[in-house]
Amino acid sequence: MSEVILKCDRLTMRFGGLTAVRDFSIEIKEHMIFGLIGPNGAGKTTAFNMITGNLKPTEGRIYFYGQDITGLKPYKIVSLGMARTFQNIRLFSNLSVLENVLTGFHHKLKYNLIDAILRTPRFYKYESQMKEEGMALLESVRLADKANFRASELPYGERRKVEIARALATGPKLLLLDEPAAGMNPQETLDLMYFIQEVKDKFNLTVFLIEHDMKFVMNLCETIAVLDHGVKIAEGKPEEIRTNPEVIKAYLGDINA
Amino acid sequence: MKIDRNNILTALSILAFFLFVWWGNHHLTAYAVRIWEDTLIFLMLAAGYNLINGVAGQFSLEPNGFVAIGAYVTAILILTPAQKESMFIIEPMVPWLAHLHMSFLPALIIGGIVTAIVGFILGFPVFRVRGDYLAIVTLGFGLTIRVVSNNTITITNGALGLKGLPTYTNIWWCAVWAVLAMIVIMRIVDSAFGRAMKAIRDDEDAAIAMGINTLWMKQIAFVTAAFFEGVGGGLLASLITIISPTVFTFFLTFELLIIIVVGGLGSMTGTVIATVLVVWGSELLRVVEQPMNIFGLHIPGIPGMRMVVFSILLIVVMIFAREGIMGQREFSWDWLLNKIKGKRA
Repeated sequence: MSEVILKCDRLTMRFGGLTAVRDFSIEIKEHMIFGLIGPNGAGKTTAFNMITGNLKPTEGRIYFYGQDITGLKPYKIVSLGMARTFQNIRLFSNLSVLENVLTGFHHKLKYNLIDAILRTPRFYKYESQMKEEGMALLESVRLADKANFRASELPYGERRKVEIARALATGPKLLLLDEPAAGMNPQETLDLMYFIQEVKDKFNLTVFLIEHDMKFVMNLCETIAVLDHGVKIAEGKPEEIRTNPEVIKAYLGDINA
Repeated sequence: MKIDRNNILTALSILAFFLFVWWGNHHLTAYAVRIWEDTLIFLMLAAGYNLINGVAGQFSLEPNGFVAIGAYVTAILILTPAQKESMFIIEPMVPWLAHLHMSFLPALIIGGIVTAIVGFILGFPVFRVRGDYLAIVTLGFGLTIRVVSNNTITITNGALGLKGLPTYTNIWWCAVWAVLAMIVIMRIVDSAFGRAMKAIRDDEDAAIAMGINTLWMKQIAFVTAAFFEGVGGGLLASLITIISPTVFTFFLTFELLIIIVVGGLGSMTGTVIATVLVVWGSELLRVVEQPMNIFGLHIPGIPGMRMVVFSILLIVVMIFAREGIMGQREFSWDWLLNKIKGKRA
């Protein structure tokens, strides 16, 4: 039995009078691809933002490898080994692809400001080491030939890959993907599916993703949880979810209504 | 090997620049030297301002406040106790400051450090907001410094200001500090810290998600800028020899803003070009503030006309070259050598 990497215990998020997520509990085991689905406004991204530290949950705790990370600053959570991408791709558009990836190394930077100003041997050593590692990473996701392109010059599908590569640079054990296939055509979606699978195996990752594209989720994820109006209404294997009456109701409405 | 070559070229050009300073100090007119001094001080101020505004993308309007702090601290430290006693006629100066007296270099450095500390403390509240709100609160800081310097009579001599400062500032002081500021700032920009700052500029939330401690990165930019703006203020104080709360107004900030926007936000090369353009341009444009006779039409001299011309220039830049002269590009030796080779081939 593999270890539990992420555990959410009754997470609740209230914005004023609105409860975006209520009593959200999940357990994600190492090396699985876990999907979170639900209609628009179900609270999926809110759940994500709580886990990555962008939002502080009103109630409940989050455990990462058994360590309580509730309320930690996002950059601290990243250094523990959790990285994310965004629903609408958010690259550093004026930086090159390589520089985008290098920002992911920043939290484990091995030289300080004085080294940078005085250009000490340490600076040169670690700067070139980082560039090598960055190139190696781009190589492994087959983006090396794009290293010196400005991020804003790339086509949409590749930008998504760069965003994932950038997240990989932080050295994550758990990768959170917020609607990775959003805005992609079927071919790009298929491409991305293989890409995520490949990256997961290569980097020994656990993947937690939010997605709208049912085919994508059903094919890729081993376990799926369904959110509706901030409440988890189902969790299970893809085939169980597909036939679950609660889920069908949430997506298509009540047949008896 | 390649890096060595570029370093040698940089070192040589700095040496050439200092040779020019040495030559200019002897052969240029006092007026020309004075313009060079202005240019170099403004270069230092603008480079710091560009680090926070252009590289880290935090649109802020505080440099006149920082310059004022640096100027006052340096001025108080270089005035002799006798001068201070005769100047503070409304209320005597607080004793521990009245007896403080030191030479120019430590005074400048202390001016820079005090400003940097103020910047560091100021950073915590102001970086809680982003975008336009940051501009507003930092604008408020500049105004606050003016009001404070007007009312802390026992320290700043209030509205009377400080007069008769010793004129230590010469072209050497300006040149050495400007080169130092450029080296430090460009090295920060060209390191992981600069990359992190640019990442914050492009998308702050994504930068946070990459594990970048954004407050800390902004603080590095802010404190570095504050230090050099403080030192620049000290150099200015000793250059113009008289400072009062009305000397460092928002117009100083505005002039620096023109420089960095015209040069290109985030480009230090652009800052150099634009500093020269703006400082020399404003000297050339003195003509427009003189009384003029155009085809028999007599126009009396209107002070402030230069600002109108600059505002028009800024509008033109905004319309035709939104990224400024250099955009975000930087000069590099590789680029220049390629150009030369390209021409030869």
